Amino acid sequence: MKIMVCLKQVPHQDARLDVRPDGAWIQEENVKFEINAYDTYALEEALRIKDAGEADVFVVSIGPDRVTQALRTALGMGADRAVHVKDPAADASDALGTAKILAAVAKAESPDVVLMGLMADDDNFAAVGPMLAELLGASHATAVMKVEGTDALTVEREIEGGALEVAELQKPCVLAVQTGMNQVRYASLKGIMAAKKKPIDVKTVEDLGLSGQVGAESVKVKVEKIYVPPKGDKADMVTGSTDEIVATLVTKIKELGVL
Amino acid sequence: MGSILLVAEVQKGRIRESSYELVTLARKLADTSGRDVASLVMGKGVGDLAKELSGKGGGSVSVVDHDLLENYTVDAYCAAARAAIDAVSPDLVLFSHTPIGWDIAPRLAAGLDVGFLSDCFNIEVEDGNLVFFRRVFNGKLDARLTSSSACVVATVQPGATPAFDGSAEGSVKALDVTLSADALRSKFVEIRTAAKTGVDLSKADVIVSGGRGVGAPEKFTEVIEPLADALGGAMGASRPVVDAGWLPHERQVGSSGQTVSPKLYIACGISGAIQHLVGMKSSNFIIAINKDADAPIFEVANLGVVADLFEVVPALTEAIKTAKG
Repeated sequence: MKIMVCLKQVPHQDARLDVRPDGAWIQEENVKFEINAYDTYALEEALRIKDAGEADVFVVSIGPDRVTQALRTALGMGADRAVHVKDPAADASDALGTAKILAAVAKAESPDVVLMGLMADDDNFAAVGPMLAELLGASHATAVMKVEGTDALTVEREIEGGALEVAELQKPCVLAVQTGMNQVRYASLKGIMAAKKKPIDVKTVEDLGLSGQVGAESVKVKVEKIYVPPKGDKADMVTGSTDEIVATLVTKIKELGVL
Repeated sequence: MGSILLVAEVQKGRIRESSYELVTLARKLADTSGRDVASLVMGKGVGDLAKELSGKGGGSVSVVDHDLLENYTVDAYCAAARAAIDAVSPDLVLFSHTPIGWDIAPRLAAGLDVGFLSDCFNIEVEDGNLVFFRRVFNGKLDARLTSSSACVVATVQPGATPAFDGSAEGSVKALDVTLSADALRSKFVEIRTAAKTGVDLSKADVIVSGGRGVGAPEKFTEVIEPLADALGGAMGASRPVVDAGWLPHERQVGSSGQTVSPKLYIACGISGAIQHLVGMKSSNFIIAINKDADAPIFEVANLGVVADLFEVVPALTEAIKTAKG
């Protein structure tokens, strides 16, 4: 089985986010990046399929030089090879542009299964998986919590209230996975050493035959600005020493009559 | 001007509340921009529901009634929605951001090669143009977006708009869609409801929940649980804690866990991702303790403490024990 795993590198969950001067996105300078948490579960699932049988697992990411770090981490965890779409003409694509880039990579590789996270922790769009499936003429499922089978795949997807919807999917398929579907491994020292010899294939937009079709100039959706949400009925903030804070909280808790 | 097509969702034999929220939003946009409102109802035996929607603000309702729409599959639902889009030619298509909406809306947008916006908490008309508002970075920032495409597909956050509860005269028209079981690339198997567990957080008067900020599984036993015990309450958790395997799913508060509204909810080290907030924001009183003053949890809390939870929570536990005598 050939498995493509799509990874996005996003600002670290605890990174301080500052809006850049043009207001349209965050300042990326001096921000620590990490692999999107949702995508780590997708990679782990691919590696588990590989551990259980035969699979060629390759990872794909789009972005500038910093993305090499994410790909090296993925190779260290056990992916066999990587494709890095590194081209300023690919950056700032919208969800559909991103899906077109990934579709071009997938068409050249013909994977049986494409795994990725349900959404990215930066733009929270949750769109690329189903879009990619449409562009490939493949089936798809989102919020996937479990994958079983080798021919047709039985997947469990998380719906509301903790319920699960079970569906059977024909291959090829795109699975956008939910967090918590597995426990993600760390790259071992041995894995990190082995990763240094694994290939990273660098591609440009032109290599993929997408010149003029993706990137900032081709977006159908434009972020005009991002901003700190207006403060609503914000909490009354309790300040002071720990003792003072605790005294205030105890008084309030007594008032509520729950003691 | 064109029209707005809202795709209603049928759940357990009823039109979902979130679909009537789309009606409110669609009517607002229609009123300010001179567009028409059209709706789609799809399912099996949903003729009466289409009629209901047409009398409650859904405008011109298309109904696709088919055996293969009894249970949800991507291909059948996409085919029915695509048929309605082709028939109505809307310039805006609205879905609720639900497991069905987020599953098919982006796929349809890609098929149409048009703009897509997900999980919008509001859409406005400004100078004749549609402007979309949504949260980014897990609620830490908001974004304002526009689209250059002639038709836009968007999903809307459930609960962001009040449901329409007025009446308005509309119409119903059946739409024929050819569907064949053989052409569907996925097959519905079953819905598995959440297993009943020993922990029913919805019955607790007090819930003390911990998030990623608690840092390690043993800290829940050492710091969070003692406060819950002192208050005679239950211990809860946010999703990242359950994802990491620190606590079982039965402790999870939020859209994919339990929805709670205790007399007192204490959130410790929880930043307040939207999916957690929807599960606890209707609590009677909320205290949030977090070291990040900008955490979204403070937007829903009544009392906020910006501090190290490892200092405040154990001290609070001792003080509660003393107060109880």
